[in-house]
Amino acid sequence: MSEAAVRLGRPGWSIRRALGVVVLLAALAAVPGFANNYYLEVLSEAWFYVLLCLGLNIVVGFAGLLDLGYAAFFAVGAYTAGIVTLRLGLSFWLSLPISVVAASIAGVIIGGPTLRLRSDYLAIVTLGFGEMVRISVRNLAVTGGASGLVGIERPTLFGYHLDSIGAYYYVFLLLAVLGVVASHRLENSRIGRAWKYVRSDEDAARAMGINHAMVKLAAYILGAIFAAIGGCFYAAKMTAISPETFTFNQSLLILLGVVLGGRGKIPGVILGALVIVIFPELFRDVGSMRMLVFAISLLLIMLFRPAGIWPEKWR
Amino acid sequence: MKKGVILAAAGLLALGLADAGPARAAEITIGAQVPTSGSEAPYGIDMLNAIRMAAGEINAKGGVLGEKIDILPGDSACDPQAAVNAASKLVSQGVTGVVGGYCSGATLPTLKVYGDAHVPFVITASNSTELIGANPGNAFMINSTGFDQVKTAVNLFKARGIKTLAIINEGDAYSANLAELTRTAWEKLGNKVVDYEVVSKGQQDFSPVVTRIRQRNPDAVFWTAYYADGALLIKQLRQGGYAGMIALGDGNNSPKLFQLAGAAAEGVFCFSNPTANFLPEAKTFIENYQKQFHQPPGPYSALSYDGMMLMAHAITVAGSTDRMKIIAALKQTDNFPGISGPISFTPQNTLARSNFVVLLAKGGQWTLYTGPGAPGAK
Repeated sequence: MSEAAVRLGRPGWSIRRALGVVVLLAALAAVPGFANNYYLEVLSEAWFYVLLCLGLNIVVGFAGLLDLGYAAFFAVGAYTAGIVTLRLGLSFWLSLPISVVAASIAGVIIGGPTLRLRSDYLAIVTLGFGEMVRISVRNLAVTGGASGLVGIERPTLFGYHLDSIGAYYYVFLLLAVLGVVASHRLENSRIGRAWKYVRSDEDAARAMGINHAMVKLAAYILGAIFAAIGGCFYAAKMTAISPETFTFNQSLLILLGVVLGGRGKIPGVILGALVIVIFPELFRDVGSMRMLVFAISLLLIMLFRPAGIWPEKWR
Repeated sequence: MKKGVILAAAGLLALGLADAGPARAAEITIGAQVPTSGSEAPYGIDMLNAIRMAAGEINAKGGVLGEKIDILPGDSACDPQAAVNAASKLVSQGVTGVVGGYCSGATLPTLKVYGDAHVPFVITASNSTELIGANPGNAFMINSTGFDQVKTAVNLFKARGIKTLAIINEGDAYSANLAELTRTAWEKLGNKVVDYEVVSKGQQDFSPVVTRIRQRNPDAVFWTAYYADGALLIKQLRQGGYAGMIALGDGNNSPKLFQLAGAAAEGVFCFSNPTANFLPEAKTFIENYQKQFHQPPGPYSALSYDGMMLMAHAITVAGSTDRMKIIAALKQTDNFPGISGPISFTPQNTLARSNFVVLLAKGGQWTLYTGPGAPGAK
């Protein structure tokens, strides 16, 4: 940041930086004007994973709680949208507040009993939670059992039917931008600093008067809400959801995005999410070897950038 | 300003992706939507091989409308999101039509992608009954659906004097759907399902199930999931002293069942889509396939070969690569002579006849069952 840069209201924001963001957003918003459906499809998926990775980043990056069952929250959102629209016959938009409530409850369910657990033990419990959610939706009648929910109506917004990939490109881009803004605000808030304190030294944080239980629960709940809102729109876009989408691999992929990009660092997490979505697509022409090439490129990144592509500077 | 540079670079990377969409011209391109990665890749590659082989034979005879056919594979990875990406990519590359579709769950969301672009889609393996309702009209299923399998199963049970039935599935979309449809159809006839079990995939010990089946002693046991676990179940049922009829769903037609179940598999029935070795018309197909790929064709190879041939036929009938005309031509398909049997469509674009056959395990291999209750037998 140059000395001459004119300071805006908030510290750290120069006019040049703000301009850069505006230009970048304008460029991204212009993409549907010239890109074909395939690129829109891949980029929508990328924005979607940006949102998921940012959500998980609150738990793993900011609060330092290893979570191997994050896909469960994504499932809560997607199934809430499916049940609200298909079973209850309500508007899709109602599923957003309902899924936020459902995700908060799920966040407390996983956060509450694990407050005193750390590292490996916490990872095992979250892994179990993820599997429990998946197996529950596979066996409940209301979630359509193993076949899942099919024929979810696509929503209408101000008379405009969200029915094309172009529309979902903007939906997921908007969600990703909101996710970035929310993450940024959270990171620099009182609770954001509390998360990082707990991450660095939980005992010291408690000694300084931080309510570690509330702080950790808040991380789980906020992370869950990100995934649940994303899940609602995922259900609307795909119109069909099944338990196979919410496997352990899904949780792992989201975690990979966070770790690969650099935990705790918002731009790093965005990059990580883009890598996990765009790399396998770039290698599509390699054919049957594409997942191998993907895995090797991930290994190389981790070898040369062990803290992630764009790691957080620890202060 | 380092951050700004990186941000700009990321933006450029995203934009750079957007101008690469090549539309190949001068050839007729057909997409092959099959899983070539992930757990189902072996089946997907079997299908892709057969589609390529069909295209090769068509090209050797001068192609379609004087143009060569070029196959573009799209890896569905048996995953809904990956399948939608693959489908969008195929549409963006300007394919004239698409052949393939293995995992029903992955095929389902692609129907809309192809439907919006009016791309004709010949589905050669996926046969979930949920595909029927979701079809926007451009997709054609040349594999019989679950309904036909249930009919085949019920006919066989009736003809063999079965009164009480035990149904066992694994709770996944395919086996649960088949089990549920069978139960409904069986109870509608006034018969009893005395035991309905859901076991987990990869379960090794079936003794609780075997004990219950011994107690309730059904005339037949119907296993609707896949062969790997089915083989163990057969073995343990026979060891447990169950002597009744055992029937298996179409995920069990693999010869590997015999390696796993051994002598216990003798006399077991299996419903199956027509695999190449039971098709009289497929002899040259098997030989050519073996020659070209150095392995025998997979369970869906014959259907995939037919799918490609049918697509080429429809393009010829349409007389152009106009997608709407090809869809109309497919719709009017009348007894197209495929190696897996004649192809015509119902108003819902599903195969007009049931292509299910009944196999009987005899001497350590599958043989075509032609006794009472077999499809086509009186």
